[in-house]
Amino acid sequence: MEKKQKLILRKLLLGDRTKSKARLWAALIALCIGTTLLLLSVMIWWNFRELLQGKGSSDSLGSTFLSISKKITDAKMGRPELTIFSPEEINAFAKTPQVQDVGVLTSNHFPLYASLGGSLGFATEMFVEGVPDRFIDKLPDDWHWQPGDRMLPVILSSEFLNLYNYGFAVSRGLPQLSQTSIKSIAINFKVGNGSRTDNYSAYVVGFSDRISSVLVPQSFIDYGNKTYGNGITIASSRLVVKVKDPSDKAFVQYLQDHDYTTNSEQLRFSKIRAIVEVVSAATGILALLLMGIGALVFILFIELTIARAQAALTLLKEIGYSPSFLGKFMISRFSPLVFLTVLVSAIIAITVQTVAAMKVKDLFLNLPYIPGWQVWLALLISTAILFSLISRAITRAVR
Amino acid sequence: MQLSLHRLVPIPLKNKIDLKGSAIWKEEITFKENEHVFVRAPSGTGKTTLVHILYNMRTDYEGTVQWGTETLTGIDSDTLSQLRTKKLSIIFQDMRLFPELSTWENLDIKRRLTHTVTLEEVDSWLERLGIRDKKDALARTLSYGEQQRVAIIRALLQPFEWLLMDEPFSHLDHANIDKARKLIIEVVEKHKAGMILADLDENNYFPYTQTLVL
Repeated sequence: MEKKQKLILRKLLLGDRTKSKARLWAALIALCIGTTLLLLSVMIWWNFRELLQGKGSSDSLGSTFLSISKKITDAKMGRPELTIFSPEEINAFAKTPQVQDVGVLTSNHFPLYASLGGSLGFATEMFVEGVPDRFIDKLPDDWHWQPGDRMLPVILSSEFLNLYNYGFAVSRGLPQLSQTSIKSIAINFKVGNGSRTDNYSAYVVGFSDRISSVLVPQSFIDYGNKTYGNGITIASSRLVVKVKDPSDKAFVQYLQDHDYTTNSEQLRFSKIRAIVEVVSAATGILALLLMGIGALVFILFIELTIARAQAALTLLKEIGYSPSFLGKFMISRFSPLVFLTVLVSAIIAITVQTVAAMKVKDLFLNLPYIPGWQVWLALLISTAILFSLISRAITRAVR
Repeated sequence: MQLSLHRLVPIPLKNKIDLKGSAIWKEEITFKENEHVFVRAPSGTGKTTLVHILYNMRTDYEGTVQWGTETLTGIDSDTLSQLRTKKLSIIFQDMRLFPELSTWENLDIKRRLTHTVTLEEVDSWLERLGIRDKKDALARTLSYGEQQRVAIIRALLQPFEWLLMDEPFSHLDHANIDKARKLIIEVVEKHKAGMILADLDENNYFPYTQTLVL
């Protein structure tokens, strides 16, 4: 379309648009707020999901890894065979939709005697466990061991340190220890008995929030059980599972049905999730309502504009302008307004996401700075619907 | 493209025509390409109705109107627009200019549909019909005579095979009629087009090939 022609058409068809500017703005603002709310409702849902299903190991609420064991009931007491997981049970568990990965915690089946010299001097029999590396929340750099190594890295549950610092140390008048000070202490592990006894220098190299245990590299456990053990492989009674979404109702139900227990605290997200879903849905409904009203007012505005220009429109058709040409002209005049509101909404959404991501960073949670594709898909679909409603209204009014 | 009318009768005039008889209404008529037809139509016989039916501005009639191969009944809007931009032009009795546009804009909005006529030509036609000084005046400020001349020029700004004219000179004096008439003849001949002029009284504005009484 030529510029001159456009100018004349604008004069004829949109000449007194200025008269109802307030109405136009009201419609556009309603549309913009509606679209923004829609994006926000999708973002609430999406961000919460991102937090629960973080892909890395330290990026989530820490709830994606659960340690699972069988509930010890009075009837099961004294019968350890009832609390172990059979390979079939492990397989079945791994196949449930929510479970992404299952790891077995293997404990030592050989005597282990830990001792510490100096002012903290103590000696105790203890246990260690091994787990595949991918289940460890923060893998330390020196987390490896091979037969022949005298140095043995250890990951301690941070809860154990807390128990010592706030329980044992306080009650016995012993010094409280920081994480870094613990890391500098060498603990002597005396392993095995009788004919085969070895000494290892164990160092705490890290702390785990995820697994309540004393972890050593899997290679050490395997070697130890073979070398110092009695050769009998004992199945595990504890599993570490990576769960897509621990707040999933079906997953919680599965645990209950099989009498499995986990840190129930970690399932609290199923409640939060329900709340988030309600908030997200409510925002969504409000958004759709506002968008509907905005679209309606906008369409009425367009129809009013066209009705006002009806005389000119009729004459234009009489001198040879086709309704489809005129319709396209009207659409080309009104669609930039729609895209402007959509753009403003998108900018608001990105801003909100960035601010939210920065805020949760202080809580050691990672969120993307840009909303995910689900948010853009919602924007795309809503824009497409809006655009088709508007172009249909125009085509109908011009015909 | 020839024009065929098949038993055409406007519904509001149906009874009246039954009584009176007409050379066009209810007849089978074919106008061959580039015929010059004069339709003499005394008041109340449906002159403007006929022109509007031929231009598909009214559809309240029985019978059919066929332009070439195109029947107007149920014609789709795009085909109709094509017909109106390329094959059929019209000078309305009531001029039908855009009152809020200037003379020049009124012509330019039509001219830009097909670019059949250059800006310079439009300018010279305005000069010929004596309204060049009104180029920038809004159409609503023009006299009827001036408006009629703008309407005549506008009708000539597109290619056409037929030119419909409904009392095209009703507001013009003899001198201006002569200027307009010459311009129309010139353009009609250039396009080798036909014309249908409907008017109240006998006239010899154009060399008609047939005259019909409505």
